[in-house]
Amino acid sequence: MIDIENISKWYGDFQVLTDCTTQVAKGEVVVVCGPSGSGKSTLIKCVNGLEPVQQGRISVDGDDVTAKGANLTALRSRIGMVFQHFELYPHMSVLENLCLAQEKVLKRPRAEAVTRAEKLLDRVGMADHAAKFPSQLSGGQQQRIAIARSLAMDPIAMLFDEPTSALDPEMIKEVLDVMVELAQEGMTMMVVTHEMGFARKVADRVIFMDNGAIVEDRQTAAFFDNPESERAQDFLSKILDH
Amino acid sequence: MTDFDFNVIWSSLPFLWQGLQLSLLLTFLSIIGGIVLGTLLALARLSGIAPLAIVAATYVNLIRSVPLILVIFWFYFLVPLALGRPIGGFYSALIAFVLFEAAYYSEIMRAGIQSVKRGQVHAGQSTGLSYWQIQRYVVLPQAFRNMVPILVTQGIILFQDTSLVFVVSLRDFMTASSIVARTEGRLVEMYLFAALVYFAICFSGSMLVRSLKSRMAT
Repeated sequence: MIDIENISKWYGDFQVLTDCTTQVAKGEVVVVCGPSGSGKSTLIKCVNGLEPVQQGRISVDGDDVTAKGANLTALRSRIGMVFQHFELYPHMSVLENLCLAQEKVLKRPRAEAVTRAEKLLDRVGMADHAAKFPSQLSGGQQQRIAIARSLAMDPIAMLFDEPTSALDPEMIKEVLDVMVELAQEGMTMMVVTHEMGFARKVADRVIFMDNGAIVEDRQTAAFFDNPESERAQDFLSKILDH
Repeated sequence: MTDFDFNVIWSSLPFLWQGLQLSLLLTFLSIIGGIVLGTLLALARLSGIAPLAIVAATYVNLIRSVPLILVIFWFYFLVPLALGRPIGGFYSALIAFVLFEAAYYSEIMRAGIQSVKRGQVHAGQSTGLSYWQIQRYVVLPQAFRNMVPILVTQGIILFQDTSLVFVVSLRDFMTASSIVARTEGRLVEMYLFAALVYFAICFSGSMLVRSLKSRMAT
């Protein structure tokens, strides 16, 4: 469903992505990991065109993201994205956060948008907080709402950009639980994360990146049991032994 | 001190009130117009569309380099020439104030827009909102909110600046006070009173800014 072909990207003279190629099939969960600055966040931001690429081609469900004049707004409305810092709209209530794009982009009638929002809030365990503002909620609660906001658009795939790295340890689980449930329901997911427990549990494949390049792209078990590259071995030993 | 007669204030109160109403009306309309136009200028400068950004930047820099009184004069004399008929002191002054203040408000709104985190725009984009929808529903409300104290401060300055409209023979509060002062020969009393009124209004405005700031800090 997500097809990334030979993409490269530069910030000025600095190359952030080097010839990356991978695919994510429908219903597949792919975890992207690697040391910080390895380009993993940049890679998934290219998938919905938040970051432009200079070379290569990305298509989602057959639509070319990288084509000149691609209808990015239409395409983005079909791909959900969850950010490290939640990025809920602070001036709107939780309910309005979930309704805005439903009403403005999908043109859903107000009542339908509210019903959908309430259903999703219930699903992420936040039904009692619809009238609150983001600043009144914990990080974990905000992130669950951010996930619900993306789901309200009925996306065909979800991108997660380090969804738990800004959270206090005790809140990580509540967010991961929601993500595990999504994965088990068959959502197509691309997840940048350091949560190797999550990767082991639900990922079909793990992509390991270093220095802007995809170093390994393997089945989850194979990746954890015998990583091929020295860099991945080194990374895993650092991240797992603590 | 015994020579002072403050009764002159009481007797001319309705006249002064008319002047104050004009000052306040001009201030109010100029703030609204200035913020609307200023926001459009700020959006133009940040649009990333070069010709638009250059025109807006030139306008802002040009206006900010001329004295307000000159702009008031310009419009008083130029607008009738352009339209072929006089539009009166009030409207020409209003146009001058809106166009002049817009330059300052645009700088405030530009700072406000830039104070909104980039991630907020990404969040809007990722749900498929268009550029204008993101500005309208996500960025501008936050920019405006962040900048309310500075916008009010600029409004206070604007209120003081409305005293310049005497040059196009409009009877604002300052002009009305002047007229009473001279016709009644009570210069000290009237100018003292005018100073007090300006102080009371502007100080209340400053207190409002302070309470807004402390409320926003929590």
